[in-house]
Amino acid sequence: MTDSTVPADRWAEPDMTTGDETVTRAEVCVVACAEVFRGSGEIMASAFGTIPAIGVRLARHTFAPDLLLSDGEALLMRGTWPVGTPAEGDIEGWAPFRAVFDLVWHGKRHVMMIPSQLDVHGNMNISAIGDYHRPKVQLLGARGGPGNTVCHPTSYWIPKHSPRSLVSKVDMVSGVGHDRAAAAGPAARRYHQLHRVVTNLGVLDFAADGRLRLVSVHPGVTVPQVRAETGFPLDLAGATENTVATTRLPTAAELRLIREELDPAGLREHEVPS
Amino acid sequence: MADIVSLREGLAELVSDGDLVAMEGFTHLIPVAAGQELIRQRRKDLTLARMTPDIVYDQLIGAGCARKLIFSWGGNPGVGSLHRFRDAVEHGWPAPLEIEEHSHAGMANRYVAGAAGLPFAVLRGYVGTDLPKHTENIKPIECPFTGEQLTAVPALNPDVTVVHAQRADSHGNVQLWGITGVQKEAVLAAKRSLVTVEEVVPELTPRAGAIVLPSWAVTAVAEVPGGARPSYAQDYYERANTSYQEWDAISRDRERFQEWLADQVYGAEVKS
Repeated sequence: MTDSTVPADRWAEPDMTTGDETVTRAEVCVVACAEVFRGSGEIMASAFGTIPAIGVRLARHTFAPDLLLSDGEALLMRGTWPVGTPAEGDIEGWAPFRAVFDLVWHGKRHVMMIPSQLDVHGNMNISAIGDYHRPKVQLLGARGGPGNTVCHPTSYWIPKHSPRSLVSKVDMVSGVGHDRAAAAGPAARRYHQLHRVVTNLGVLDFAADGRLRLVSVHPGVTVPQVRAETGFPLDLAGATENTVATTRLPTAAELRLIREELDPAGLREHEVPS
Repeated sequence: MADIVSLREGLAELVSDGDLVAMEGFTHLIPVAAGQELIRQRRKDLTLARMTPDIVYDQLIGAGCARKLIFSWGGNPGVGSLHRFRDAVEHGWPAPLEIEEHSHAGMANRYVAGAAGLPFAVLRGYVGTDLPKHTENIKPIECPFTGEQLTAVPALNPDVTVVHAQRADSHGNVQLWGITGVQKEAVLAAKRSLVTVEEVVPELTPRAGAIVLPSWAVTAVAEVPGGARPSYAQDYYERANTSYQEWDAISRDRERFQEWLADQVYGAEVKS
């Protein structure tokens, strides 16, 4: 699926922010994750992690109403239910696990995965740290990574931005980055679309040369801080350290949705403590 | 027609040391009781296949039943790592564990090819990743029509597939519903199969979204109520989330795991 119809991004636009000084880092991250799905259209949105799960619901309830969300089991559901609780609402479709492959292969999905390691080209590792055959840490395994990254838009969520998670070279490629896609040929390139990376410190996307660059820092975070926590030299997309945009705050309506409807138990604060 | 058997005799008859065994199940309907019975029967050198191995495979690996794991994700769902699996891969305890890592789609398509009697399946995924470098069973293939370079994975035909389902009739027709993974394909691809069920009923009535495994495709059925615990069986019982959390502490420590094994598996009655 090509993605030429996506409207201009608004992740860093001041918007109608709340002026609410109680807004937490986790809530900024929720909105940044929601913005990942702006303009995605009528596709299945799959988000791993608490904050992306809140973000994708926030997006659907506000500016991306056509997103299709799973109930976590075999149904597509439309409704407002808090994260960590059973789905409630209208059933929109039956999508058992096998049907998800059809959506993947036809590009009708945008996934937000959590890499253990991500490099400057967008290669990601969820398989093993260290030598593959006798790893220091055996991770959970490649799961959907090899197919997702070459079939439909993929974004990443990194709840702890550090030189251990944003590395110069991943130990194992479980999901394909730009340099690998280019080398592998048309089968890898045709539908390859790495969209955005949201971390607990800021928002990154990919420059025309396929390398990660910093597009905004969350309120209270400085660019030198992000650079110090990144395992490779980080480009600033034409800005200087002082002019990098600040990730937008939630609007009053968004904040109410997050706090009262989507995550009343405050699970977001466990994933990204303030 | 499938035989109705006890879990003990069914597994003793169907599974031998060294077999390739697939125990599928996805989120619910995980054949836990059957896995623990294999430990009790002290099967050795098994090659275990499953798209998403969770705590029952951790138990089999920790008990020394496996020499190889074919998988695409291995974890304790909602909790974290599988510590016995990690110990085996990272430290070779209690025995080295060879791994063959795939993507979810790769695993599913290996079963699909196996079920269809085809030698391999074709995917776009894997291109550009390091998996082909580490896994013999992932090879490049050229599309004969477009010349596009894609990936082939061989059919997966388990010696035995074991799954859990809600119910069967007395002829051995099996019905399962709710979230289903690749149970149907894994059973159809297997040389032999055993299905544990919550109950054997006189007649299977239609259910929305249900899959039926016909009696002629199943070797044996064993009635094992609660056989998927601590996972759940939709419309029968809920998932015991605390068991998954408790498994984290039990499995972290070799001694504590061995105590659990002696107490809860070797020392426990067969469930059916």
